[in-house]
Amino acid sequence: MQIRYFERFGVTEALIAETLAAALSRGGDHADVYFQHRVASDVGVEDGEVNRAHASVELGVGVRVVKGDQTGYGYTEDLSLPALLECARTAAAIADGPSRVAPARLHLAPALPDRYPLVRRWEDVRPDEKLPLVAALNERAFAADPRVKKVNVYLRDESGAILVADSSGRVVEDEQPMTLLFLSVLAEQGGRREQNGYNVAGRAGFEFYSPDRLDRVVREAVTRTTILFEAGPPPAGEMPVVLAAGSSGILLHEAIGHGMEADFNRKGVSIYADKIGKPVARPFVNIVDDAAPPGARGAINVDDEGNAAGTTRLVQDGVLATYLHDAISAKHYGVAPTGNGRRESYRHPPLPRMRATYMLPGPHETEEIIRSVKRGIYCANFSNGQVAIGAGDFTFYVKNGFLIEDGKLTRPVKDVNVIGNGPQALERVDMVSNDLAIDEGGWTCGKDGQSVPVSQGLPTVRVSSMTVGGRGT
Amino acid sequence: MTQPSLLDSTRTAAKLALQKGASEAAAGGWQARHVEVAWRDGKIEKVSEATTRGLALDLYVEGRYVAVSTSDLRPEALDRFVEDSVALARKLAPDPHRMLPDPALYTGQAAIDLQLEDPSHASLDSATRRRIAEELEAAARSVPGADRILSVTTGASDTRAESALVQTNGFEGTRRGTDFWISAEVTVKDADGRRPEESAASGGRFRDQVEPPAAVGRRAAGRALARLGSRKGDSAVLTMAVDARSAGRVVAALLGPLGAASIQQKRSFLEGKIGAVVGSPLLDLTDDPLVVRGLGSRLYDGEGLAARKFRVFEGGVLRSYYVDTYYGRKLGWPPTTARTSNLAWRLGDRSQAELLRAMGDGILVTGFLGGNSNGTTGDYSLGVRGFRVRGGALAEPVGEMNVSGNQLELWKRLTAVGNDPYRYSAMGTPTLVFEGVQFAGN
Repeated sequence: MQIRYFERFGVTEALIAETLAAALSRGGDHADVYFQHRVASDVGVEDGEVNRAHASVELGVGVRVVKGDQTGYGYTEDLSLPALLECARTAAAIADGPSRVAPARLHLAPALPDRYPLVRRWEDVRPDEKLPLVAALNERAFAADPRVKKVNVYLRDESGAILVADSSGRVVEDEQPMTLLFLSVLAEQGGRREQNGYNVAGRAGFEFYSPDRLDRVVREAVTRTTILFEAGPPPAGEMPVVLAAGSSGILLHEAIGHGMEADFNRKGVSIYADKIGKPVARPFVNIVDDAAPPGARGAINVDDEGNAAGTTRLVQDGVLATYLHDAISAKHYGVAPTGNGRRESYRHPPLPRMRATYMLPGPHETEEIIRSVKRGIYCANFSNGQVAIGAGDFTFYVKNGFLIEDGKLTRPVKDVNVIGNGPQALERVDMVSNDLAIDEGGWTCGKDGQSVPVSQGLPTVRVSSMTVGGRGT
Repeated sequence: MTQPSLLDSTRTAAKLALQKGASEAAAGGWQARHVEVAWRDGKIEKVSEATTRGLALDLYVEGRYVAVSTSDLRPEALDRFVEDSVALARKLAPDPHRMLPDPALYTGQAAIDLQLEDPSHASLDSATRRRIAEELEAAARSVPGADRILSVTTGASDTRAESALVQTNGFEGTRRGTDFWISAEVTVKDADGRRPEESAASGGRFRDQVEPPAAVGRRAAGRALARLGSRKGDSAVLTMAVDARSAGRVVAALLGPLGAASIQQKRSFLEGKIGAVVGSPLLDLTDDPLVVRGLGSRLYDGEGLAARKFRVFEGGVLRSYYVDTYYGRKLGWPPTTARTSNLAWRLGDRSQAELLRAMGDGILVTGFLGGNSNGTTGDYSLGVRGFRVRGGALAEPVGEMNVSGNQLELWKRLTAVGNDPYRYSAMGTPTLVFEGVQFAGN
């Protein structure tokens, strides 16, 4: 068996086999070992100069032992056999008895899909190519509007790989690139200041930065900032909310995505526990969590437990269909894993997590949706969101939007938190357009102290009523 | 064979940086032992245990700057990494404001024992952690109304961490610390299918600062049960009391804008406000790094500057920003420190119950959900849950609501400060009462 990537760190078949044997020595049902190497680099512009750079290397390994739905975990940065055996013995102690199963003979898993083919690998991109890119964006942002007073640009790239080997004998390696470009703008007008920005991210190489994409980054960062001078808070209270196509997928992430992570349901602490097979939305509502959008930030060829990652249907024709599983929850529910077992790094055991979560196109026209609203808000882009899994309350923070008055977009609005209850908001999705867009932004999802990259998308959607955190009436 | 000490290996890294061409460098090495036990509904859910390490380097190369970090400490790998990092720095534009701090600021460290390391850490064993986690659950399930409990997740975790900082213009420091945390999260079943959750935690630098598990478990369950039947209230302008545990969220909205980076980049609604009235006279707090056993205590900061106590707000007037060396140089200001340590409030003399009695009518916020505060303009909009207050007493639970406004108005409406600083955060916030806050609901 040929270990490709991690051979350079002295990782051998024998090292993995001995570690897994030690991991199962106390009677665990299952064990896995997760090696990670991640090399990140970013260069930045501030006050007109490309004068800062950061680089980081993460190299380490985590050993996990599972017994039933209990987990033992140990990790180290030292990839030597004694260090790995110590981690394995630590993790093994979750079980407390004689060894019951021995790990199977190691074999390479079948070939993975290729969801992030690279044209220009980051290892081959010299700083001399990255620095002019960020310098030019800085100049273009200033040139775009005289009100622009400060610009920050960061370009980040990551390369490296993971290796997962488990006690079924399966060994998987996946190289996982990532890049993120962030342009932030501060503008002044008549003694007032506003700040906003735009960012794009994907599992891609240097070719990601096409002229089109760079144009969009500058245009969006500047217009999303300068429009804030005309914007104010919307009124406070319940009203119809229209969500623009694209990053509004944050609605799904918070209203249903987290609640469908199977660990919360296995524990009975999610508002969606015991609701599989029940209608939760109109029949034209279909929601998926998908590992496969090519080059998406949330795309993965394989999950962090080595399981195949495909498309999971959360809601099919309005009916709650499938939870997002890791290996523990899949076993608990007696179903196949869905490839949602993800982790931030070797320092953490995997959990059920989202990848790219979006709603499929629906039967309505975008114009028709906006026209249908007498008085409400249109949410264009977002900075963050959060959910209380059990109570079901969730929020998203709208950075840019518009009032809708008599079926038309009127005054711009800004800086408003919208709050709803997950199942209730889903029921209230009463119009869905055909203009699905998966957002290209650099979204990161946090859970249990672990951050993972995700994507989200939505067609234009109307929610008949949510609570808008505005001011006055 | 003996392992070199962390200080020795950090010195070696700083020396390596100079050998590879850096004119100056700061090296920060760290290692930590972290153990965590999670317990759920009668059995262990997860045990995680590890010793972990890393190294960070700030490299100053002929007037240019890079900051790097690595967990790959194999000598050949580190050698190449530093070499590559120095080469990267050479590609950048020079930055005249980047340099190590003035060594004069390294001197004058307080001569006190902050007591940040509990020597009894080594004797804490897995059986004890497990017993704590079990006791937390048992206590949660012992409260009246516990038949509504769906699930209890508890945890005990502890860390022993050591770090060393070596700066090539004359600073060397090491520190060691421990911390111990216990927590319980309780989910209860509401009549309409909702499953509200609440939690409680306790912790400290020393084991004897941690409350008994029974108290924490009961508190978590009591809080969760109190959420049953929560409803959205009506949109209105009301008095808002914020519970000590949650008030850190409101205060945090001031901290980013107090940083020199935000001010120099024109992203702070507090720019130009030194000496100006920002809040009511009750906004009065001090940054105090020298609290014995404090969660945020330190003798020197992340840049090696000797830690000093300083006033941030005094009687509503802004007295100081958080100024690091780099942005301080850009602004022409002397550094204070880059980050908050412990915040010490000038406390009021009333308990939360007394404050609510005096308040009469309003909402007590016990938790925030999402939302954000715009550091440039001060506009904020935050999701909240809590309790309606009527006739000076807690009434029905409310949730799925928002509060919105501007920070500069909000702090002027601070009308009362409790005597109850939250012990389990370095922010140490007491209950805060604000008048005239816009709530959005029905």
